[in-house]
Amino acid sequence: MTGIDRRTFIRQSIRTAVASSAVGCLPALDLLALPAIAADSPPLAVRKGKNIKQLVKETIGALGGIEQFVTPGEVVVIKPNIGWDRTVELAANTHPEVVKTLVELCLDAGAKQVRIFDRTCNDERRCYTQSGIRSAVEGLKSDRVSLEYMDRRAYKELAIKGGKAFDRWEFYMPVIEADRLINVPIAKHHSISKLTLGMKNLMGVIGGNRGRLHHQIAESLADIASVIHTDLTVIDATRILVANGPQGGRTEDVRNTETLIASPDMVAADAFATTLFGLKPEDVSTVVAAAQRGLGVMDLKQVRMV
Amino acid sequence: MKNSSWTYARKISQSFCLAVFLWLFLQTEYRGIDQLPYPVSLLFRIDPLAALADFLAPGPFGWQILWPALLILLGTVLFGRFFCGWICPLGSTLDGLGKVIGRGRRTFSPGWRRVKYYLLIGLGTATLFGVQLLGLFDPLAIFLRSLTLAVYPAYNYGLNRVFDFFYEHNVPLLSATVKNSYPFFRDNLMAFHQPIFALGLFTLIIFLTILLLEKVEHRFWCKNLCPLGGLLGLCSRYAILQRTPQKLCADCKSCDSLCRSGAVRSSGHMRSECLLCMDCTGFCPEERVHFGLRTGSDHYVGVDLQRRGVLTAMASGVMMAPAVRIGPVTHEQNPYLIRPPGAVAEDEFLQRCVRCAECMKVCIGRTLQPALLQAGPVGLWTPLVVPRIGYCEYNCTLCGQVCPTGAIAPLKLPEKKKNVIGLAVIKKDRCLPFAKGVECLVCEEHCPTGEKAIVMEEKELLVDGEIRRLKFPRVIDKLCIGCGICETKCPVEGASAVRIINEGESRRKRSELLAGPYG
Ligand code: SF4
Ligand code: SF4
Repeated sequence: MTGIDRRTFIRQSIRTAVASSAVGCLPALDLLALPAIAADSPPLAVRKGKNIKQLVKETIGALGGIEQFVTPGEVVVIKPNIGWDRTVELAANTHPEVVKTLVELCLDAGAKQVRIFDRTCNDERRCYTQSGIRSAVEGLKSDRVSLEYMDRRAYKELAIKGGKAFDRWEFYMPVIEADRLINVPIAKHHSISKLTLGMKNLMGVIGGNRGRLHHQIAESLADIASVIHTDLTVIDATRILVANGPQGGRTEDVRNTETLIASPDMVAADAFATTLFGLKPEDVSTVVAAAQRGLGVMDLKQVRMV
Repeated sequence: MKNSSWTYARKISQSFCLAVFLWLFLQTEYRGIDQLPYPVSLLFRIDPLAALADFLAPGPFGWQILWPALLILLGTVLFGRFFCGWICPLGSTLDGLGKVIGRGRRTFSPGWRRVKYYLLIGLGTATLFGVQLLGLFDPLAIFLRSLTLAVYPAYNYGLNRVFDFFYEHNVPLLSATVKNSYPFFRDNLMAFHQPIFALGLFTLIIFLTILLLEKVEHRFWCKNLCPLGGLLGLCSRYAILQRTPQKLCADCKSCDSLCRSGAVRSSGHMRSECLLCMDCTGFCPEERVHFGLRTGSDHYVGVDLQRRGVLTAMASGVMMAPAVRIGPVTHEQNPYLIRPPGAVAEDEFLQRCVRCAECMKVCIGRTLQPALLQAGPVGLWTPLVVPRIGYCEYNCTLCGQVCPTGAIAPLKLPEKKKNVIGLAVIKKDRCLPFAKGVECLVCEEHCPTGEKAIVMEEKELLVDGEIRRLKFPRVIDKLCIGCGICETKCPVEGASAVRIINEGESRRKRSELLAGPYG
């Protein structure tokens, strides 16, 4: 017990030190410092396959099964990307089958309640329906699962300790208060951050004028991620959007990659996802910023592939 | 005062019709199905004034939608103003609320009754000459418009405050119950998003005024002002349904004071003023009153429409047209005059739109807002796309589905996606990369066209003496459809840094578009 505390304490201190020394420096310089803090190499599971249900089970299984993340009686929030009024084949939202299988796993693991929501960009009623996620979730017919519209009253402004772009922001309290958060983004192209992955997906559980985050997208997202703790990140790359992201609209821009990436370390999962687009983790500023803050490991040599 | 079985039947009919209209009103909302399953604008499809506007507008008459209005007219020709007594939701509201408000017993000079005919004749003539203002005075439009723009938003606001209170304060026992009932209310009895309308208060005041006129005289509006009542009155001249006795009886004269419409005179029965409420079959102390098919003698009394009055009304109607035409072209005066997708060309639009507000009620993105003067003085209450408040949802075709007059044509989704309602322009003096040298791409991110109509181009910019590589948005004119989501979502405070103007809209004549201002 005390041992863990001490270890956490040391890690935190190193992170803070590195983070503060990074202020004003070029990313390239800080990268050299990164291996030092990634003492515990996080596991990362990557699987390929056409059958999505099986793919999800295999990938989570490789991490030791959902029981590693969800214990009986817990309230779990699953946060897919349901941001856009687009159908499944346009690869703008998380695949409904991925969401559904994850919910099933959580239920099997004894979760008391599984809550699913997203602060959508188009009308939420349209997004929930058009994405196929509504019918997938309702098809489960379980009263322990709910696909909910975000409640405008449940946002609360919280302080962001050590925030670089913001020192306060509005967060959606059901996420902060849940026992577990499973982040399930889809991998997509994005004009400024290049890609939208796990970190960007967390924008769906914050309030306020989200457009303001784009002025300093990398630091802003790192600020947000430093407040919201995710237990597991599952990146849906069963099909990815390589242009006209993040909402697409043309099948020409969709590639079938049939891949799923999962890790308890969001930064590691995001880092790996960049390679599917022919990029390197250091090409994506949000990944770099998060790693610099010590929010996770971006050096793929440091992760434990399972 | 006794009620006859006729009176009960009428009250049931009034309550039933009102309930149906209110239910249809609640169904005028997106509930997860792209095609609305109910004829939500039924109220206007049975509205003879809406049919008249449609008939006199350019283009063919909308038989397929408006045939029910013709049925009502036919029924009126046969039986009289049964619509007013048995169906009209505004009439029923006046009957119902009159008790609450308290009813005046004053009788106005019979001259007042002419106003509704003059109004009808004046507005009708103006419509014939191309200026349609029937909707401003149409009782059904007034009713639905007031519900949409004022009553319903206020009701939602109130309910939300109640739910919020129990959400924030933990009242033992109550809070849990209230919280649990919230989803039901939200999904069935409340608007999904709190409606926001600029003309809410203005519309409410007019509605309240009409209601408060009950304090002066029972059915003041119906007797004296309603142009639809006037039209139905004119049509009932030869109705075959006849009241006996036709005149006031010499020994009683109760009808004189008890008839809500003052339709019985010592000289005869004013059929065009009788609302067929049938109350007299009950209140007559001698039970003399009956309604039956016309037989023999007819003591019909009409409202004395003085020739001078009729001519003045017609002349004013005729004058309206040139008075409006000499004004400047509105869409050139106001580049932000943007109409919903499927809207017909502006001139025709103004002639077709009856200001019923169905489209504003159903608009999923809350972008449709009633115009005050933005579309010129005759554009009052017509729908405007106001992108800073909301945007036109890319995959939504609801407004065209509900418009009862064809002012907004129903578009299939593929057509809708190509329908251009405007064009985005970037204001470089406010747009963040241009004006402040910081990254932003919100407009590009939200742009819904398959191939984005806003592209980000990387350029170097000198900011505070240092060169920064930044991405700048640029609009691709031929891909932009003017849906306005970029303007809605632009994170700049106050007015957006990207604005939709009405350049290149599909509803304008092609030649007008191609020629452009420079030849
Ligand atoms: S007179 Fe007008 S408002 Fe009154 S009942 Fe008839 S149609 Fe309705
Ligand atoms: S455009 Fe709107 S307000 Fe006008 S008639 Fe059609 S639905 Fe009614």
